[in-house]
Amino acid sequence: MAQLIKVRPTKIELVKLKRRLGLSSRVQKIMKDRLSILTMEFLQAARDTVSAKKKALGAMTEAYKAMTIASGYHGYVALQKELVASEADISVTAGPRNVAGVRIPSLEFNEPSGGLRGYDLAQTSSLVDSASDTAREALRAIIELAELQRGLELLGAEINRTKRITNALEYIIIPNLQATIRFLKMKFEERDREEKARLKRVKVLLARKET
Amino acid sequence: MSLPLPELRDDTQPQYERFIDAYLSSELRLVNSGLPQRRRSLSELLNEAQPQIPCTDGSQQMVKRSELEYLSSLLDAPDRESLMLPILIEMTGDQSGAIVLCPGSAEQKIVSSVVGMHLVCERPGRLRIYKPQLSLLRRKLKTTTQYIFSTRSSD
Repeated sequence: MAQLIKVRPTKIELVKLKRRLGLSSRVQKIMKDRLSILTMEFLQAARDTVSAKKKALGAMTEAYKAMTIASGYHGYVALQKELVASEADISVTAGPRNVAGVRIPSLEFNEPSGGLRGYDLAQTSSLVDSASDTAREALRAIIELAELQRGLELLGAEINRTKRITNALEYIIIPNLQATIRFLKMKFEERDREEKARLKRVKVLLARKET
Repeated sequence: MSLPLPELRDDTQPQYERFIDAYLSSELRLVNSGLPQRRRSLSELLNEAQPQIPCTDGSQQMVKRSELEYLSSLLDAPDRESLMLPILIEMTGDQSGAIVLCPGSAEQKIVSSVVGMHLVCERPGRLRIYKPQLSLLRRKLKTTTQYIFSTRSSD
């Protein structure tokens, strides 16, 4: 049930309340839109996360399989010796992106330039190339998954917050304002009626005095 | 005879109400905080090592190179010059869809290609899309599109 807000029953307060109701209705409209957008983005992110997770798991499995075959062919020590030289820092571009007021991290794997692998191509077989390719694919999938999962968490938290604001506006703030405005209007009408009745009474008294 | 005064809430009302007003106003500011301060052309962004777009709240929005390359593949050279990013999607509060702001023909071409159907502006510079199409558009263009929330009528 709507509660009345404690205000002085004056016209100025009524104007203020009407202005506040206007603001609240505007915010409610925008919040509803925002909530629907955030939900849509969240569902999209959830679907993408599931497929990215599957892709990352598949890529990791492939990468380990390829690496096992390569180390079986070359021997673990020889392969390690070759790969030590190929160690390189990975480059990821990171920055925020804004989704309806929520700042979500955006990550992008930068492909290494040049295409050199760092190990001696003459001394190694195509199995190492294949292992390197699948490992890079796994890395790309992990970065994609990290971006999506963080986005999912942030969107989820924001949806909760927005839902609470929308509910507060819908069930508390706007009904309270409407009830108070209604009450003030009734109060003013009542005052007008009293005033009219008083004037009539005075008129009758004056008329009686004159006679 | 006056109306009986109902039981009023007994709390620090003016402070509470002021807080609510300030909070709601800040929410309005927050939803549009990621709007671009200045839109930049696709060709300009493609020439940068780390493409970014400045936002009104002082932050920088990162733009994915893969998305720029995708957009570039859909357009010819003059359209690459004229396409200004991010593409703005206006939410007008009618819950059914959104309006893509298309100052030029490049935006219209992009949206049509992404959603896979020919779309026509219902009013000059305003292209209406519906929720499934919006979802498709946002899925492919995450960093090169941006939402605007407004309460003006879409009609």
